[in-house]
Amino acid sequence: MNPLLTVSNLSYCKKDKSWFAKQERFSLAPVSFELKAGETMAIMGENGSGKSLLAKLLVGVARPSAGEILLNGESLHDKRQRFQAIRMIFQHSKESLNPALTLGSLLEEPLILNTDLDARERKRKIEETLKLVGMLPEHQYFYRHMLSEGQRQRVAVARALILNPQVLVADEPFAALDPSVRSQTVNLLMKLQRDLGLGFIFISHNLGIVRHISDRILVLEAGQLVESGKTDVIFNWPKSDYTRRLIHAYQALISRDD
Amino acid sequence: MPLLDIKNLTLEIDTPLGWVKALDKINLSIDSREVRALVGESGSGKSLVVKSIVGALSDRWKVTADRMNWKGQDLLSMSDSQRRSITRSEISVVLQNPATSLDPSATLREQIEESIADSQLSKGWFWQRRQQRREISAQQLHKVGIRDHDLCLGSYPHEVAEDISQKFALAMALVSNPKLLIADNPTMGMEPTTKVQVLRLLAKLNKTRELSILFVSHDLLAISAMADTMTVLYCGQTVESGKMGQLKRRPLHPYTKALLDSAPSFRRDLPPKAALSSLDGTIPTLQHLPIGCRLGPRCPRAQKECVKMPDVRRIHDHHYACHFPLHRDKI
Repeated sequence: MNPLLTVSNLSYCKKDKSWFAKQERFSLAPVSFELKAGETMAIMGENGSGKSLLAKLLVGVARPSAGEILLNGESLHDKRQRFQAIRMIFQHSKESLNPALTLGSLLEEPLILNTDLDARERKRKIEETLKLVGMLPEHQYFYRHMLSEGQRQRVAVARALILNPQVLVADEPFAALDPSVRSQTVNLLMKLQRDLGLGFIFISHNLGIVRHISDRILVLEAGQLVESGKTDVIFNWPKSDYTRRLIHAYQALISRDD
Repeated sequence: MPLLDIKNLTLEIDTPLGWVKALDKINLSIDSREVRALVGESGSGKSLVVKSIVGALSDRWKVTADRMNWKGQDLLSMSDSQRRSITRSEISVVLQNPATSLDPSATLREQIEESIADSQLSKGWFWQRRQQRREISAQQLHKVGIRDHDLCLGSYPHEVAEDISQKFALAMALVSNPKLLIADNPTMGMEPTTKVQVLRLLAKLNKTRELSILFVSHDLLAISAMADTMTVLYCGQTVESGKMGQLKRRPLHPYTKALLDSAPSFRRDLPPKAALSSLDGTIPTLQHLPIGCRLGPRCPRAQKECVKMPDVRRIHDHHYACHFPLHRDKI
């Protein structure tokens, strides 16, 4: 099977323009990986290891200094195509939704910007997408504050899905959620992935969830790619010290039996 | 005698719709040297319990309790100054999100030195006392595992990393050598390695200084690694409380079971990518509280009787409040 997303030698370098010499401040070393359709990849690493930066590079918020991202074997030069195919879910669903707009107009915005649908088609698409994430068509007239936390998370997913993307990128989608809402969101994402064949890349500190839903793991340390591989391989036979430390910390938490 | 003993704590809030019970008959007791976890989702009133223990609530809210004792003294009937002196010297709180609860306009040195009481210093001239303050604050930082105290103390809250400011908040809380430390969500949003460090630190303090800890969180992983006993809150009601191991092995309340099941880490037999079990819906808001057992509308075992508040029943030291607990078959 052809890979859905191919990332080769993607790197990023931020330089301080100092008076005398250019100083390198932060860099993401060349990262390469492949993602197949329907596959989930988790990015692990400590704070400041460049996880969010990698996510930003993938969705096109930040511009990589070298390397390329191929979608279905074609390079992503067309911005519009890229914005449709790779969508992002943000960490704080509450803050990322505009309080002054109804959900309908929130969801309509990406359609206006990225597609040629007319008003009626847009409305139908919004209703379809709301149903897809388990909400009612009437919810399009609601505002953000009228929803519960779980519903807000669903809207965030709906906004990512409305352009029929092929890849979803999520930056800590489960960190701010309560246990029951978290399970609901995890279930929803897994179901959507099965039904639509999405590639899903997410960043998480919660190794329990990482182990549960991801197929492959990418471990970053200070901008360097330390390790990547299948989930059970990494969890059972971590190669580098850094990964071992992360996994051991996690094992230490769960293995207290009494 | 327990250190802190709370029975039937009720907190009522005045809303446009009338008085609403934000906390409804909470029971909680902490023995000395005990690590008790207070678990609940956001909106379940964990932080309100913490605030009512230290008395940091608005005057317009009604707090009533059958018993709210600190070492046998009734906290609710004592005068404000007495109560303040207890919270000053014997109870410490680490607030949620230390990076924002620290004063952004003062260096960490000023903040920790301010929290050292005059009574902890021996008499002397002001420069000697200043010297003592510096020594105490450096010692405290070393104890919580911050090595480079000068660098840390000289910086402002936004300049230090999140885990450092968490440890710093802990150091500040421990300056007064408290008997009880209340840690409100101390591991929120931390990566596993830092989390383990902070938990180890708390466990060490619990052993060496005979410190009791009330660990308020919804991170079940951290709690199960740390706590001896656990109290589960749902929507302002105590749902179940008992020994950690017992609760984990055999929960009696449907909510506790749902909470434990929602963490995939505890279920080794779970095949990867299987759907996680979860209760439908979300925790109700204060304006729409159901009557009786507040889990009612979401509970898979709910029946007609659940519109009445169940009494607290006990099996040994395992308390639960449910009409149809899990060890009985469904009727």
